[in-house]
Amino acid sequence: MNSSIFRNGLHIPSALTRRDVLRGAAHGFGALALQQLLARDGLAKQRVNPLAAKKAHFEGKAKSVIFLFMVGAPSHVDTFDPKPALKRYQGQQLPASFGKVESQFTKGDDPLLPSPWEFKNYGQCGMPVSSLFPHIAQCVDDICFIRNFYTESVVHAPAMYQVHTGRILMGYPSLGSWVTYGLGSESENLPGYVVMPQPEGTPEGGTPCWGAGFLPAVYQGTLLRSGASPILNLQPPEGMTPQRQRATLDLLQKMNDLDTAENDSEMAARISSYELAFRMQSHAPEAVDLSKESEATKKSYGLDQKHTIDFGTRCLLARRMVERGVRFVQLYSGGGPVSMQWDAHKDLVANHEKMCGLTDQPVAALLKDLKQRGLLDSTLVIWGSEFGRLPMSQSGNGRDHNPHGFTMWFAGGGVKGGQVIGDTDEFGLNAVDGNHMRNFHATILHALGLEQFQLWYLHNGRQEKLTDFGGTVIKEVFA
Amino acid sequence: MRRTSALLLCALLFCAIAGAWIIDKAQEEAFIAKRRNWWSFQKPVRPELPSVNDRWIRTPIDALILEALRAKNLKPSPPLDKEHLIRRVTLDLTGLPPTPGEVDNFLADKSPGAYEKLIDRLIASPQYGERWALRWLDVVRYADTNGYELDVLRPQAWRYRDYIVASFNHDKPYDQFIKEQIAGDELFPGNKEALIATGFHRAGPIHLVGGNQDEEANRQEFVSEMAGAIGSVFMGVTVGCAKCHNHKFDPITQADYYRLQAIFGATEAKDVEIATPEQRTAYEQAIKDYKERLKPIEERIAAIEKPYRFQLQAKKKAALDPKLREALDVPKEMRTPEQQRLAKDAESQVGVVWDEVLEVMPAEERAKRAELRKKLHAIELTEPAPLPAAYAVQHLQKPLETHILKIGDAHNKLDLVEPGIPTIFASDNGRVGSDNRRAALATWLASPDNPLTARVMVNRIWQFRMGTGIVGTPNDFGRLGLPPSNQKLLDWLATEFVAKGWSVKTIDRMIVTSNVYLQSTVPTPGARTLDPENKFYGRMNHRRLEGEAIRDSILAVSGKLNPRMGGDPVRVPIEKEIYDLIFSEAEPDNLWPLLADENEYYRRSLYLMNKRTVRLPLLANFDQPDTMTSCPMRPVSTHALQALSLMNSDFMHRQSIFFAQLLASQCGSGSDCQVRRAYKLALSRLPKPNELKMARDFLSANGLMEDFCLALLNRNEFVYIP
Repeated sequence: MNSSIFRNGLHIPSALTRRDVLRGAAHGFGALALQQLLARDGLAKQRVNPLAAKKAHFEGKAKSVIFLFMVGAPSHVDTFDPKPALKRYQGQQLPASFGKVESQFTKGDDPLLPSPWEFKNYGQCGMPVSSLFPHIAQCVDDICFIRNFYTESVVHAPAMYQVHTGRILMGYPSLGSWVTYGLGSESENLPGYVVMPQPEGTPEGGTPCWGAGFLPAVYQGTLLRSGASPILNLQPPEGMTPQRQRATLDLLQKMNDLDTAENDSEMAARISSYELAFRMQSHAPEAVDLSKESEATKKSYGLDQKHTIDFGTRCLLARRMVERGVRFVQLYSGGGPVSMQWDAHKDLVANHEKMCGLTDQPVAALLKDLKQRGLLDSTLVIWGSEFGRLPMSQSGNGRDHNPHGFTMWFAGGGVKGGQVIGDTDEFGLNAVDGNHMRNFHATILHALGLEQFQLWYLHNGRQEKLTDFGGTVIKEVFA
Repeated sequence: MRRTSALLLCALLFCAIAGAWIIDKAQEEAFIAKRRNWWSFQKPVRPELPSVNDRWIRTPIDALILEALRAKNLKPSPPLDKEHLIRRVTLDLTGLPPTPGEVDNFLADKSPGAYEKLIDRLIASPQYGERWALRWLDVVRYADTNGYELDVLRPQAWRYRDYIVASFNHDKPYDQFIKEQIAGDELFPGNKEALIATGFHRAGPIHLVGGNQDEEANRQEFVSEMAGAIGSVFMGVTVGCAKCHNHKFDPITQADYYRLQAIFGATEAKDVEIATPEQRTAYEQAIKDYKERLKPIEERIAAIEKPYRFQLQAKKKAALDPKLREALDVPKEMRTPEQQRLAKDAESQVGVVWDEVLEVMPAEERAKRAELRKKLHAIELTEPAPLPAAYAVQHLQKPLETHILKIGDAHNKLDLVEPGIPTIFASDNGRVGSDNRRAALATWLASPDNPLTARVMVNRIWQFRMGTGIVGTPNDFGRLGLPPSNQKLLDWLATEFVAKGWSVKTIDRMIVTSNVYLQSTVPTPGARTLDPENKFYGRMNHRRLEGEAIRDSILAVSGKLNPRMGGDPVRVPIEKEIYDLIFSEAEPDNLWPLLADENEYYRRSLYLMNKRTVRLPLLANFDQPDTMTSCPMRPVSTHALQALSLMNSDFMHRQSIFFAQLLASQCGSGSDCQVRRAYKLALSRLPKPNELKMARDFLSANGLMEDFCLALLNRNEFVYIP
């Protein structure tokens, strides 16, 4: 990261040529023909993969990340952070000592609302989880819950930006962008950073949640779907046969070779990008093809049930991506219409029973599946949202946004499961000794072997970092 | 520990670097004195031109470059041939490739002034301003929408974009350009163009959302955007870094930052109507007619929905807590305060949204409704354009007070500050009064005495034409920025700029007619080792076209480019995957309305709808900035998604077919002629024998001309400036 070219934020490929020569023989559609051609003509030149894997700053347990983001904010006091006091104070106002608690829509004068769900203790650790998450409850010994995160906006989009990028403002690089900038990707045939939003619609924060901000576009999140064309423009339009396409590509690469002088890494990078694209063309459909998965696996993710098939499919795809060396998978539950978000301003019961029902089994299946395949140790799974929800009611039976204290959890990737870190006050309103998003991000980078202050990019006269002026790694998270 | 780490850190910073808990003039002076001597804060002195005598020297620029090259034992690269030269300079000055006719004329013109004539033509062409506007709008982070979740369209913002195009085309003196954008309303009252120019202050993102508002935080965001832009765009100083503490590297105190903010203490955002009475009358009639056309369809849709809405509401009402239902049943004016509260909750609970209605509606009713919605959207496309207004700022009658804010927190106010320019530039901060604050700022910035303004702009012009700035960090001339690679050159250009009446075209012309610009991109022997980053300009830099210029060039080559200038931003067809990224809680059936006239889709990229949260893949993949922060220089990354959009997108396939059709219409079925013509159109030259053979081999093996065209448009030579 200290090459002068990185400092200037200039031509990334040329900076990469020196250290990141494409490993192994090129293979796959189009590339093979070219490889032969180049060998024959004695033109074999240095090839460049802008996303080639890079060495971490130090040895980190986690090699990849799956970030499960619940759009609209699940209620922590109804899921992972039980607050018996709410029952005792049911219907009463928040004690005056808490001051005025203004959220996006409420002014803090609505009565306290106890959780409609029962909590029970699970696992060897005896972790309390509400009846909303019976499947995740079975995995608590692998999960580290952190109950004292906070964000700094009561509004969805800015708070989402803070969780994804570290700032409440739009326009900063997302976590996945920083991670691929720092580590590249182990996969040569797939994008290094993939994103799977809710089919019904995008989160409030929209594309900047997985954008590269001011980092080069190569570090942006790439949308991934199941089906024959999982990546935008992966396949040529109808009518273009594989033979035609191959011939066209070969012609292009022959011409590109004429344009490329010896040692011209920038042009070589462009030639490589076409090879990569066409390897992706054959590998990506295979990567999202679930037909080879066993029935038992599909069933475990809930692919046999109407309510879990969508999120279950995306969780299973996430595992398949990680298996293939993809560095960062960003997965969303919720987006678009109000009825498809966790945003329970009213009718908390109906909303959370629906949303938990869509995700509980798939998330648990993902954790178990990763573990069974020996991937959990090297995969950091994060579950979280932009904030939690208030202990007071809204509209009588809902809850407004609570950025002051809420729960997110980590599993895998060197994380010590079966523990709780941090707390909120007796009502679940404010985090006690809260953890800022800077700490959240510093901890994730640490799991990957990245040192927060070494991962920077010069933009408009500032060494920009994910954690801005620095967070504290939450050391207790790790085993 | 909540926020305490932040506080602690900042507290340490304050203590460490003579901070501004309470303004202490002496401390401020001491802080600045230590940093005063940085080169960019000294007024540029016009350097003596070196007395080098060499045939290579065409302009003073060449003399200064050659002197620097010789000092490093470097030589300039040989000049580019004429064929490539016209391609380079036409792409540079217009963002479009030269036509075959233009190439032939230039090659045929053997007169000594042929190149200068070419430059005159290009600089006078309207595309010159369009080309410049693309760059300028990057720097001011212009977009057509607000950003954030609602990302609402700014229906009048394009007038600022058009103002920029016109300003560069008319070679508006840069000092006037500054004055109009910063204080057009104050300095040129009654001048519509100058009013539109103040849209500069509102070019950046703004967060508008419903619910409870934190007015002070909102105002702080607005003012921060404006103050930061002055620093990045005109001063080349990262003044925004002094928002939470004294600048860590440059002589800008935290108080200085808030003095700059205070200049905007008397500024508010305002769409100022600039319509004539005739326009208003016509508009009022048109909007009345429009609503009448919508009404019957809206009524039919409401009628279809009514029974289902009613049914849903009844069901929700039945499920209400009895206390809430009771309260709801009490007539509004008779409710007790407790009942009022309960009734409000009840009303919220029985509310019905669109997707619930659709869910319970039988399929045939849904289909009927969908048909009606289509009709509705077709009418909506004919909505009369809003009355012309300047997307502007204006003077606030009651100026707001500005405080220094602890760690930039809007609710944590420290000392009150008066408007002023940074102390290093005027020890009394006294040049800015209470009235016409922005005028004072503009006048100071646009002064020949300002050490930064001219340097910052000539550096942008140089960077635009040469690929890198003399100062490699064009928005940062401070200590964390890169030092100038040739300060004599920078200062000579800056003083020349002012001496020539701040004429951008004059500097631009001087650069592109210099031998330094005419060099080939091939390094001379040893240059790669002696000057790997080409800091001394002994060759031309490799420069990739921006995504916008690639798209425009493709349209120009395929014959489809619609050169119409200005006006409303245009939506082009987008893939379903991209459509799905438009955030909406409402029914998502008309989020990207397209005009019926397909020719509009072929406008230059400058005029395409620039929506902050929905980026067009072809442009975004080629490092188009996200318009959230000032982008002085686009990064250039190369990756597989670019190949996918350039090889596989519908846009590319359609354009390849158009290109092939154009060739057939110009050549008939003669394939050699088509190949030659294709080279001439796409690459501004004829194919070499081996290239012709390659094409023949491809076509004789049943390759299609449209596929040949697609390959040509993907070629390195097509997307890089020679």
